[in-house]
Amino acid sequence: MEMIGHGGKEIIERVLAKDAALKRVEELKAAKVKTLDVRLQLATEILDIAYGFFSPLEGFMTKADVESVINNMTLADGKTVWSIPIVYDISSADLEKSGIKQYDEVLLTYTGNPFAIFDITDIFTLDTKEVAMKVYGTTEDKHPGVKRTYQYQDKFLGGKITLLNPPKINEPFTKFWLTPKQMRERFKEKGWEMIINHQTRNVPHTGHEWLMKGAYLGAYGSMMVDKPRGGILVNAMIGSKRPGDYIDEAIILCQEAQGKHGYFRDDIFLTTCTLWDMRYAGPKEAIFHACLRTNLGCTHHMFGRDHAGVGTYYDPYDAHRIFERLPKGSLNITPIFNLDWWFCPVCDEVTYMGLCGHKDKKASFSGTLIRSIIQDGVKPPRRIFRPEVFDMIMECAEKYGFGDAFVTEDYLKNRQPVFTIGPLK
Amino acid sequence: MAEETYPINIWINEERLEKLQAAGLASMTKEVLAGLKVIAVPNTADQRDKILKIFPVAKYDAATTRSIENMPRQIKDKIFDLIVKNKSLNVMDEFIKSVEK
Ligand SMILES: [Zn+2]
Repeated sequence: MEMIGHGGKEIIERVLAKDAALKRVEELKAAKVKTLDVRLQLATEILDIAYGFFSPLEGFMTKADVESVINNMTLADGKTVWSIPIVYDISSADLEKSGIKQYDEVLLTYTGNPFAIFDITDIFTLDTKEVAMKVYGTTEDKHPGVKRTYQYQDKFLGGKITLLNPPKINEPFTKFWLTPKQMRERFKEKGWEMIINHQTRNVPHTGHEWLMKGAYLGAYGSMMVDKPRGGILVNAMIGSKRPGDYIDEAIILCQEAQGKHGYFRDDIFLTTCTLWDMRYAGPKEAIFHACLRTNLGCTHHMFGRDHAGVGTYYDPYDAHRIFERLPKGSLNITPIFNLDWWFCPVCDEVTYMGLCGHKDKKASFSGTLIRSIIQDGVKPPRRIFRPEVFDMIMECAEKYGFGDAFVTEDYLKNRQPVFTIGPLK
Repeated sequence: MAEETYPINIWINEERLEKLQAAGLASMTKEVLAGLKVIAVPNTADQRDKILKIFPVAKYDAATTRSIENMPRQIKDKIFDLIVKNKSLNVMDEFIKSVEK
């Protein structure tokens, strides 16, 4: 099966089989190589690199890559589109203490267990203010992506990653985490020629549902309807959370509920997740999402209003316009741009900004409004919010959210991790 | 532009609607979003500031809904009960006094 990912290259998979991994760990230990224990943020991106979510990246970026990404929106090769730096940071003190030098092979551990090999080819510094300005368009640390950038330690390590120890994905995420290769196999089984990606970090209301339905109808075009030749991939971003976000478990299970309860036919709908800490980089993140979903095997990607934005940092349609600036053929996925869907009391239906002529009567689906209703424990009308999705939110709040469907300090402290790395044996 | 009322939105489920109907207050609700009912409890700027101080989780959403959001459900229940008791939306002073103690 064809496994060509972003940049026109074969999907990267840098994962050692168990026997080889056991042998390598013994060798590394015998050679007394240096070790570094990584935090969750880095462990997440190591998995993304190793399984090809970030293809054609084979490791953490070198300085040449980061500079090209922030200045030209390409990797250091000058042609592969890339918009967000993927970096491994370390403090000068820790670097000195470890004794790590350029061209060292380092054993990375996570929660104390062997995790990956890091072939360090570059040790460098970055001007984080410059990175912030060029990626996020602002240097304000109120912006969560900028804040993350400023929190990086002062040194960076670049080089290839090889995974030694596959993750155990914990419930309820187990069946939703598919590697890019596994996703492509799933699409093939389903007979899909067209795969539309819906990016989400939300529990769905019918505005989202109609966004997907509209994209499906629009993109299906003149393909034969004898059997479903296309489907919708809901790919939820599961990663670092802020208080007030929906809890991860509710996001993934409520998305799935739309298919389970027939709002989408089972054979045209699939829910999966990608481990990614949202950067809220608006247009730059939209480009990143396009690259990522190309790797998953998607043919189309939906971009709504204020895609991956935060606050008022981006114009609602910046994330659409940025695609016009890309050289033709540099992305292997077709963007589908959406305006808003709203409820119109005159049309008496959920309708599209580009169709309904009762703009002054519209009732918008603002996330804040829906959240306000859910926080009151009030079940909205089914035209606005599917009752099965509402019931699932309430179930998740009890089961996973310590009584709350939204992230609390309690949840951040006590939730079960999405993945764990066990002993290698 | 009309003067801002910094409302707290109390969403109406069947249980709340029954209480309102029993008190003859069903007309207090207004319909938003496909028939969903809400009571918008008005606040002055001063009341808003007091509420935000007493309930640090609450916030005033100036960007989209122009209302005070994130109020705990149990607290909204108390405000709702005051409305039914007083048969009036003008309850925030009494409410603030009761929680300031
Ligand atoms: Zn209309």
